[in-house]
Amino acid sequence: MSQIVTLEQLKQTLGAKLAAGAKVVAPVLDGEFASFKEIADVEQASFVPRICMQNSIEEFFFPKHETIFTFVRQGNDVVLNDAPDFDVEQIVVGARPCDAAALPVLDPLFAWDYDDRFYQRRRAKSTVVSFACTQSDAHCFCTAVGGSPENTHGADAILFDLGDGSFEVRAITDKGKALFDGKTTESDKVGKACDAPVVNFDVWKIADWIRANFDSPVWEQVSLRCVGCGTCAYVCPTCHCFDIVDEGSYKKGKRVKNWDSCQDAMFTMHASGHNPRDTQGKRQRQRLTHKFVIYPDKFKFYLCTGCGSCSRSCAQMFGVRPCLEALDKEVQ
Amino acid sequence: MNSEPKNTDAFEPKIVAFVCNWCTYLGADLAGTNRLEYPANVRIIRLPCTGRVDFNLIVKAFEIGADAVLVSGCHPGDCHYTAGNFHARRRWNLFRELLDTVGVDTNRVYFSWISAAEGAKFQSLVTEIVEKTREMGPYEEYQSIVAEA
Amino acid sequence: MENELRNAIRELLEKQEIDVAIGYGRVGVDGAVGAVFVTSPDDVEQIVWNDECRQNLAVHLTRPEVKAFGKIGIVVKPCDARAVVVLANEAQVDLDLLTIIGVVCSGIKRAKPDGTTADEYYAKCETCVQHTPQNVTLVVGDVAEGEALDAKNEQNAATAGNNAKLAKLRAMTVEERFAYWREQFSRCVRCYACRQSCPMCYCNRCVADKNRPTRIDTSASLKGNFAWNILRAFHLAGRCVGCGACASACPAGIELDLLNLTVSDAAKEHFGFVAGTEFGVDPLIGTYADDDKEEFIR
Repeated sequence: MSQIVTLEQLKQTLGAKLAAGAKVVAPVLDGEFASFKEIADVEQASFVPRICMQNSIEEFFFPKHETIFTFVRQGNDVVLNDAPDFDVEQIVVGARPCDAAALPVLDPLFAWDYDDRFYQRRRAKSTVVSFACTQSDAHCFCTAVGGSPENTHGADAILFDLGDGSFEVRAITDKGKALFDGKTTESDKVGKACDAPVVNFDVWKIADWIRANFDSPVWEQVSLRCVGCGTCAYVCPTCHCFDIVDEGSYKKGKRVKNWDSCQDAMFTMHASGHNPRDTQGKRQRQRLTHKFVIYPDKFKFYLCTGCGSCSRSCAQMFGVRPCLEALDKEVQ
Repeated sequence: MNSEPKNTDAFEPKIVAFVCNWCTYLGADLAGTNRLEYPANVRIIRLPCTGRVDFNLIVKAFEIGADAVLVSGCHPGDCHYTAGNFHARRRWNLFRELLDTVGVDTNRVYFSWISAAEGAKFQSLVTEIVEKTREMGPYEEYQSIVAEA
Repeated sequence: MENELRNAIRELLEKQEIDVAIGYGRVGVDGAVGAVFVTSPDDVEQIVWNDECRQNLAVHLTRPEVKAFGKIGIVVKPCDARAVVVLANEAQVDLDLLTIIGVVCSGIKRAKPDGTTADEYYAKCETCVQHTPQNVTLVVGDVAEGEALDAKNEQNAATAGNNAKLAKLRAMTVEERFAYWREQFSRCVRCYACRQSCPMCYCNRCVADKNRPTRIDTSASLKGNFAWNILRAFHLAGRCVGCGACASACPAGIELDLLNLTVSDAAKEHFGFVAGTEFGVDPLIGTYADDDKEEFIR
């Protein structure tokens, strides 16, 4: 037997959470753009499984910019005030399986040499409910990096759209169970995800090629059309590079953590004026090497969940999948 | 946001004036030496030339809490650097339109030519700007985006 | 027309008049069209021409890794051709090393958020009255057809496409406009994709990247986002050719081209200036006339 929740019940569940002061994040449709947003009312959300999203759920765990502390000058002293802890319950609904899968990938990073309390607090306070995919497109390649349209990695519960205004609920963790406890009915209907996207390249072999070909001219060739806009990094659910800057005046201000991208020429510019990654080929090499060699070597996960957001939003029609496919030709 | 009714009696507008070193600054100085009284709401920032006034400075002034901005320099033909004010004039023609489209109130942005001999003009213009800004009230709209983290 | 283009490029490569041809090819996922760099006459079959050729290839001309090729042949749409003219006028490209291959364009189809092609043209194309490229080395395509499209669009150019959007914006009160951009800019993530995709944003170090002192906040907060978007639009004053690369690159779907259009419109209205229409013209900002308008100056 399976557990079923109707759309109405789902809305009521979330509405009750909102009423209790929780933060609810869900897909919101604006014209043809769908993005994850914090909602004030469940009717704002669109509970339809989608693969094309303008952002990922990452920004609700690791915001695009976040205050670390504020400072204010008092007489001859400077008084520092830590930013308040994230202290509300957060429910993230409608994540793509590839969005949710990014969280366990990021967990070890934010708890490695330094415990990032900002990320960890948000993570501890959050429940992630994903939608099993009902379609895949040519950009999807989750299967190449160990995912699937019904991957539950990182999700507390997964919903399968039954197409009749109801969802099959599969609770994965205690948090997921608690969220839907008493809200579901038993049924014999069983949800099914779409077929897995087909990929004809082997990331393992490509990673080996990357390891052996740091100085290959191929990097420059495959990334010639990349203009370094960095959109790929900003829509990526796993990209996490950030910059720390102080903003404000002599009297008061704050230290903030802002997203950054390795595709920006300034990213590695030294104070001396030397830039070790002075061409786009070197920057793309860094991006791919970090995702498929450096990160797995250190944390045992690819820094990529195969969501395809990078290539969907790339105005130059580039991104991880086209790059991997181009490198695959070199492997052959 | 502050939900209390606006107490306009207590509101003292903050005006940032970017003035050129050679004309308007001396005009303001003349107003002072002639004992022409003008409101103390204006904060004068002296720059070499209006041609130096980067449009970013106007945005920056609003960011740090200005309720109105004045940019003032030499009359056309009088520029110490020959053409700095001509360049500025062309720039402001376009920049005002951009500010207007973005929704920044152009009634809060003033441009003027005030020579070193026009102390009285400086006095009357600053008085007028302060009065008009007092009527419009604080520029809460821009401050609201500054306050938002 | 595609064949005509390929033949022209093949000939240029064979005669060694160019070392590389920057054109469009089916390079992306599912054959999506992006830039290709063809160095051998044998590879010209990679080059395509259709209504999905969205990118403004002129953005590549100022990149050091592309300049390293030497003599460059570049495929340009009429709007992109104007970008090359501006680059030349600003001394960013060496015309002696450049062969500009203009194609007659009949409009480009918009990309949907998922990267597929929508069944409608870009808003900029609805008001386009220049379907035949000007100031190019050679023109490929049917000029008569381009002129017919110009005539067709001229009738409603003022009330269609982006002009209609801008008119709607201008009809709002100043507070409404501020609220509109407030919502738009709240989505900005400060990735600077707009800057990187713009052929005119070629500065080695952008003012947004300067930190001694910091000119504008680098945070993707509303304060920083307003400052950045005002800055970007105004640095394009008298330079923007309206290709729309910024807006199509924006991952947040912000209508950046409307800001540029405002300034371009003002340049046309106040100074009769249109960017990139002829070689050898001095930049609009950086020159002046004794009788420039000043009715707003007290």
